[in-house]
Amino acid sequence: MKTIFTLAFSASLVALTQSSALAADATRGKQVYNKVGCYQCHGYEGQGANTGPRLAPEPMAVEGLSAFLRNAASTTMPPYSEKVLSDADVADIHAYLSTIKKPPAGKSIPLLNNP
Amino acid sequence: MSNDKPSVDRRKFLTAAAVSGAAAVSAPTGVGSAQAQGVAGFTKPPSAADMEAEIGQPVRIAATMKEEGGRPGSDFMVDVLRAMDIDYVATNPASSCRGLHESINNYAMNKKPELLTAMHEEIATAMAHGYAKVSGKPMGLLFHGTVGIQHAVMAFYNAWCDRAPMLVMSGNHGDAAHRAPGIPTTHAAQDPLAIARDFTKWDDQPGSLQASAESLMRACKIAMTPPYGPVCVSLDAHLQEGVANPSDKLRIPKFTRSAPPQGDSGAVKEAAQMLAAAQNPVIVVDRAARTHAFQGMLVQLAELLGAAVVDQLGRQNFPSRHPLNVTPRARGVIATADVIIGLELNDFWGIVNSYADVAEARQDKRAKADVRLVSINSRDLNLKANYQEFQRFQDVDVAIAADSEATMPALIEAVRAAMNGDMRAAAERRIASHAAATQKQSERFLNVDATYAWDASPISTARLSAELWNVIKDLDWALVSRDVRLSNWPHRIWNFDKPYQYIGDSGGAGQGYGMGAAIGAALAHREHGRFVVNLQGDGDLMYGPGAIWSAVHHKIPLLTVMHNNRAYHQEIMHVQRVGNWRDRGVDRAHIGTTIDNPHVDFATLAKSMGMEGIGPISDPKDLGAAFRRAVQIVKAGEPVLVDVVSQPR
Ligand code: HEC
Repeated sequence: MKTIFTLAFSASLVALTQSSALAADATRGKQVYNKVGCYQCHGYEGQGANTGPRLAPEPMAVEGLSAFLRNAASTTMPPYSEKVLSDADVADIHAYLSTIKKPPAGKSIPLLNNP
Repeated sequence: MSNDKPSVDRRKFLTAAAVSGAAAVSAPTGVGSAQAQGVAGFTKPPSAADMEAEIGQPVRIAATMKEEGGRPGSDFMVDVLRAMDIDYVATNPASSCRGLHESINNYAMNKKPELLTAMHEEIATAMAHGYAKVSGKPMGLLFHGTVGIQHAVMAFYNAWCDRAPMLVMSGNHGDAAHRAPGIPTTHAAQDPLAIARDFTKWDDQPGSLQASAESLMRACKIAMTPPYGPVCVSLDAHLQEGVANPSDKLRIPKFTRSAPPQGDSGAVKEAAQMLAAAQNPVIVVDRAARTHAFQGMLVQLAELLGAAVVDQLGRQNFPSRHPLNVTPRARGVIATADVIIGLELNDFWGIVNSYADVAEARQDKRAKADVRLVSINSRDLNLKANYQEFQRFQDVDVAIAADSEATMPALIEAVRAAMNGDMRAAAERRIASHAAATQKQSERFLNVDATYAWDASPISTARLSAELWNVIKDLDWALVSRDVRLSNWPHRIWNFDKPYQYIGDSGGAGQGYGMGAAIGAALAHREHGRFVVNLQGDGDLMYGPGAIWSAVHHKIPLLTVMHNNRAYHQEIMHVQRVGNWRDRGVDRAHIGTTIDNPHVDFATLAKSMGMEGIGPISDPKDLGAAFRRAVQIVKAGEPVLVDVVSQPR
């Protein structure tokens, strides 16, 4: 799996980083995230569920995210090609995931310290 | 019953015809009331000689005229139900069942059995389903023969898959020549239970009152012999509305439950030796706990072996916080196992193999190539051909076709006998290592995983579960639904340790199970004063929202928490997958799958049927207060619904 991601990275990420680093739009990213179904398996805040792992806070780097989406066919996640999800969309999704704050520590939440 | 002579004679003919009929030929119909009202179209009854000529054999005339001490046939049926200890009969009323219905009302005085009114046969069946898993007893169901059974069958399939016993009784007007025209004929069938036969354990269509007693007894006995399951008896209207006379010498057979099948002692010993000698034994358990005794026995076995337990959550099999409960990390544990014993597994193949739902589906071994497998499963004693709920065939090393719970004492003894000092020491080391991993895992759930999206709206399933736990943990609670659609958060953080605290899911994954089953389960819990929680899917409730009415009408205390993700969420993910695979659109999966625009206002829906409804709640800060209010309502003996707008999973 690792090899595939690396290949994908070298193939398409130059353009991605150039276009997105400047323009990535978190608000739009949230809309895209919901519209193209990421929320379905990962939750509206990327918190993860038994249908898909946690994505945020502290998402993987945008290059890794893109590589994963394009090559997800080798995993159990359905892939998102450039045709259906542009590099700009991916960058915006990444920007959205990056805005998600770290949650409070479990120890500080009384409900999570119940017997 | 009409007392006029022609009617009685016709009855004699009908009874005779039934006596001579083949099993598959339906029983004759009682048309007494129609005749009494002077319905046109009946010819004069034939003489005994005519009848003999017609059917080619001597005619046995049964006494049907009411003698001194004679009584309605359906009163006799009530006595049979009482002899089988049937406490409740859920029904959606119907003409072909009116005789038995009236007997329950006016002969039994609606006590033992008591009627439960349901808005749909599927809901009634779900009620019986949930009730059976808590009470350990079958509920009776009383349905119209044709359209009623047609409404019910999906729910029978759930019960069949989930091994839930229930006694279905349906009416019919079998005799074409003498039933009323119009609807009774439209609703009559020659083989009315054929539609359910592929997924019920047994069915019958008795031709006389005596046969009906024997048939009901046999049905109940079959339903309650593991593997449990639904059974059906068609009680023709002429039997219900006919007369039980002293000269019929009707007898109610003794009701004796069959002892459950126990595993062969040689095979049990072989399995025990394999387990005792294993380096990494794993117990996988699904619909195994039939009674409250099972959980304690499984704890004993697991601790004796130092075996990891993977709970498929078909029943309350094993305490959720037990150090040997490795369910959340099952994959890794299965991958390193050298011996796996499966107890009442629905899908052993799926335990030791993986299947990835990707564009070109991938199948792989999950367990080691040389893993040895033992199966104890009563399902092996009762498979049918058509529907595939028995899953893929899995070859095993020791196959024991028997009931796991009944086999458990012998297995524990055999394991004890097979273990030497070294094995016991190894078991202790395994316990310590599993316990450390379990502890770490549960800390991670609470300190890390549950915190993500803690303040999110829609509300996270972890938050929902933690808020709910906070208000029920000090009560004598029971959950009556599955929590997989909440990413199993209740099982990750609640303490399930009492044998009645959990009952699994629908079995067949047929929608429309949740609310009905919860009501039936809550009814069975009611006499023990337990606080019952139902985690209810929105799509599932919309199949049969009329269930709400039954909970209110029958005063069944129950806290229903809507996990309202405003969708048939599983299906969105399916459509999404296919859209992605085909690479032609990833933003239209919501079409045909979401339940929004408009949103369903579940609190108002509940209120429309007299149930207190709270919500919709989308701010997690409001959840605690809503749950606390709901708890007070349930404690006062009422059902309540709290609508929580939730994250998908
Ligand atoms: C149908 C369910 C589904 C959808 C829709 C979905 N994912 Fe996933 N995702 C998964 C699953 C399952 C995995 C785990 C894959 C595996 O490891 O086999 C995953 C893994 C990932 C990972 C890797 C996480 C890690 O740490 O390894 C990322 C990143 C990710 N998804 C992002 C997204 C984004 C962004 C979207 C929307 C554009 C999306 N996913 C849509 C199910 C889904």
